[in-house]
Amino acid sequence: MKSFPVLVILSVLAGFVVYEGGESPIYASSQASEPSADKSNAAGAASYAEHCAICHGDNREGNLPAFPPLVGIGRQLKEPQIVELVHTGKGRMPAFPKITGDELTALLRYLSTSAAPAQAANAASAPTSVSAEVAAGNTVFQQNCAFCHGRDTMGGESGPDLTRSKLVIADVNGDKISEVVRNGRPEKKMPAFDIQGAEMTNLVAFIHAQAATAATKKGARKGVDVADLQTGNLEAGIRYFNAKCATCHSATGDLKGIASRFEGLRLEMQMLYPEDAKSKVTITLPSGEVVKGTIAYRDEWTIGIHDENNAYRSWKASKVRIVVDPGLDGHVALFPQYSDADIHNLMAYLQTLR
Amino acid sequence: MRFEFKALTIVVSSWLVLLSSPLLLRAQNLDPAMLLNPQPGTWPTYHGDYSGRRHSSLTQITPQNVGGLTLEWALQTNQNAIIKSSPLMVDGILYFTVPDNVWAVDARSGHIIWRYTYPPNKGHHIGHRGVAMYKGWLYFTSPDGHLLSLNAKDGTVRWNVVVADATLGYWTTMAPLIVGNHVVVGVSGDFDNLPGFLRSIDAETGKTQWQWNSTPPAGTPNTTTGGMTWMTGTYDPELNLVYWGTGNPTPVLNGKPRPGDNPHTCSIVALHADTGELAWSFQASPHDTHDWDAVEVPVLVDRDFHGQPKKMLMQSSRNGYFFVLDRTNGKSLLTVPFGPTNWTLGIDAQGRPIPNPEKEPAPDGRIIAPDEGGLTNYRSPSFDPKTGLFVVDAHPSWSLYFAKQADGEYGWAGADYGVWGKGVIEAIDYQTGKIRWSHDVGKDGSGAGVLTTASGLTFTGDAYGNVLALNTADGKTLWHAGTGGSIDSSPLAYEIDGRQVILTSSGSVLFAWSLPQKAAPPASAAIPVQKIPAHKSSH
Repeated sequence: MKSFPVLVILSVLAGFVVYEGGESPIYASSQASEPSADKSNAAGAASYAEHCAICHGDNREGNLPAFPPLVGIGRQLKEPQIVELVHTGKGRMPAFPKITGDELTALLRYLSTSAAPAQAANAASAPTSVSAEVAAGNTVFQQNCAFCHGRDTMGGESGPDLTRSKLVIADVNGDKISEVVRNGRPEKKMPAFDIQGAEMTNLVAFIHAQAATAATKKGARKGVDVADLQTGNLEAGIRYFNAKCATCHSATGDLKGIASRFEGLRLEMQMLYPEDAKSKVTITLPSGEVVKGTIAYRDEWTIGIHDENNAYRSWKASKVRIVVDPGLDGHVALFPQYSDADIHNLMAYLQTLR
Repeated sequence: MRFEFKALTIVVSSWLVLLSSPLLLRAQNLDPAMLLNPQPGTWPTYHGDYSGRRHSSLTQITPQNVGGLTLEWALQTNQNAIIKSSPLMVDGILYFTVPDNVWAVDARSGHIIWRYTYPPNKGHHIGHRGVAMYKGWLYFTSPDGHLLSLNAKDGTVRWNVVVADATLGYWTTMAPLIVGNHVVVGVSGDFDNLPGFLRSIDAETGKTQWQWNSTPPAGTPNTTTGGMTWMTGTYDPELNLVYWGTGNPTPVLNGKPRPGDNPHTCSIVALHADTGELAWSFQASPHDTHDWDAVEVPVLVDRDFHGQPKKMLMQSSRNGYFFVLDRTNGKSLLTVPFGPTNWTLGIDAQGRPIPNPEKEPAPDGRIIAPDEGGLTNYRSPSFDPKTGLFVVDAHPSWSLYFAKQADGEYGWAGADYGVWGKGVIEAIDYQTGKIRWSHDVGKDGSGAGVLTTASGLTFTGDAYGNVLALNTADGKTLWHAGTGGSIDSSPLAYEIDGRQVILTSSGSVLFAWSLPQKAAPPASAAIPVQKIPAHKSSH
């Protein structure tokens, strides 16, 4: 397809600049900063460029999840550990036994320098007390994530509080966060974001910094704490359970130990509607064959199930008889009946099922 | 200069006769008088016309032949951003957007004519609804709160003005509304305690003509901030009134610092088009504490209401209520829920829901219907004149709302968690609010808006990315096609080369659907150079 170079006039910040645009526009703002080179340590930079940059990026930004960023590696590994890693390799990382002497010293010094100026420049408006990666990550977060997760990562319109997220807590250097960001969570309506290299590293650093800050606040912390959900009455909860829940559930059966598996808000949400529960279904084929399983997909035309051997099978919905176990409908039917006290009382009871 | 609509309406009909001849069409030029009575087959504004009914008069595609609908072309933006905009179609060219990007596309073939990209900026890139057109100019809002006037021929920038200060926390996503030489622009910004406003900007010069503030400046005692104006409004040329919905008050979930009704947040307002002066205001959610913007399309309908001819305004509001107002004065004709709601103590004498204080967000949580996304959201409903049905993508849902001292008194100021929801396309009888039919579209719901056509079809989508054609009379599915992604925009219809096209999107792809072309020439016939036969795929 032919593209037309067009002359576009744009205002950038206060002034007006002229640039040529087209399929790959060049921005005045991107010309401001060159990728950095530590001029006082040309030998270290050269060694890095020769041996490391192909995987860890020109600016040590990494390429998650396969290739970790090396910015700030000195805070994670001591110098002898870095030397050992360089000399012996690890996993898919090859060994570089020939990097020794002055070159090794220069490389170590290069790796110990802080973020590249190109990243720091992105964070010009951020407070200087936080590290450059975190500040630059803040910018990425505000542009892409803040609308749903809140400016401070602690929840907002439709997106959960990331500082209380199990995935964030379990994440190491972006191994889990980057995957969710790049793939999205279609089932929860989270879109995928094309965030790569240093931008991803910075974003991960910002989220972790926010989680660390939030954790220091304890009782004065924003969001829903387990302690907030303790206003119910145990006796009333047992009565409600026996009247409304016991037809399908049992405290000594399916719900045994439920409070050990979930706590706080997660327990309450699971109680109201089990998030990942799959409806059981029985399919009768035209031949008379009966297939049982759980629904994997269902629109007006197609029914897809995982059968009892966990194999995926699908049919045109109009060609088979479909009987769905109504179990989950009971949860939906209860919504209009609950008082807020009913929910708090039920929580008081479920929390005893350890 | 005041725009003389009444004089113009007299000459519009004669212009239409002239314009119906293709030779006289002036390419890429939209006289604002045309908006008073858009040519059938064009789609010159966000809503298609000033009424906001999202109804097409085209009748080539019918309930009888829609089963043969097939893909004419698809256009991939190769962007991550999901298409949420409603394209314009003027003189055979489509104009559509995602944040920071505008495309002009040949409506005949789907090929890109030009693309404009706004420079990197720190604004919120949450979504973009589209552009407006006046004469040979397009009007585009940027994530950092600017309004740009672009040349429709090549996407070059004529001028760029600041509408709202992004450093304070404003951003813009909406498609402006053109009325005469007014470019009416609304703003977003409820992460901060900021006043909302609507501004009219001169289409030629970019100078501000008027501004209406929905709330007083931050810090004014005993008042609220908020009331953002982030969706495109509608317009009645006879009354010369612009109708607009306003967003939630701030802080959002904590209502304690802002006692009272919090005017003019969560409201439908009527403003004089030439001055911005408030004619009337109707509050859909007094003292909202659930983020239920009342920005959904104010749909304008002229017909009988219980035997009396009325100029009406209808809104299916995010808070779960369907409102019918007399749009000459803002008086309520009907207020009725169109799905589960549990947050009111009843309806007051003015037709406004009375919020239950017990259902304000609390430290131990409150169960609330609908959820924060609401019983419907920004995607358009449609009014079908033939059946009198108001068709809306509804989202019955339940959620938990929390707020405690540590959440503060700024911005979001609380937390909410959706528990369950599903999507249902509902056809509402506007005189009673009764649901005539409903059509399930899947768990968690669909993001597709609704288009009705004069031939009795309703186009929308389901939660799985299927485009649907329903029979408007009974809601039964007549045709579908899987598009492989989430549908987050409202369909529209246009005509080119005498053929009706239904335009939809999913993910980052635009899809143009039409009936198969007449029998192709035999394979031995000469194929014109550069003309590749369209790839046809049956669904």
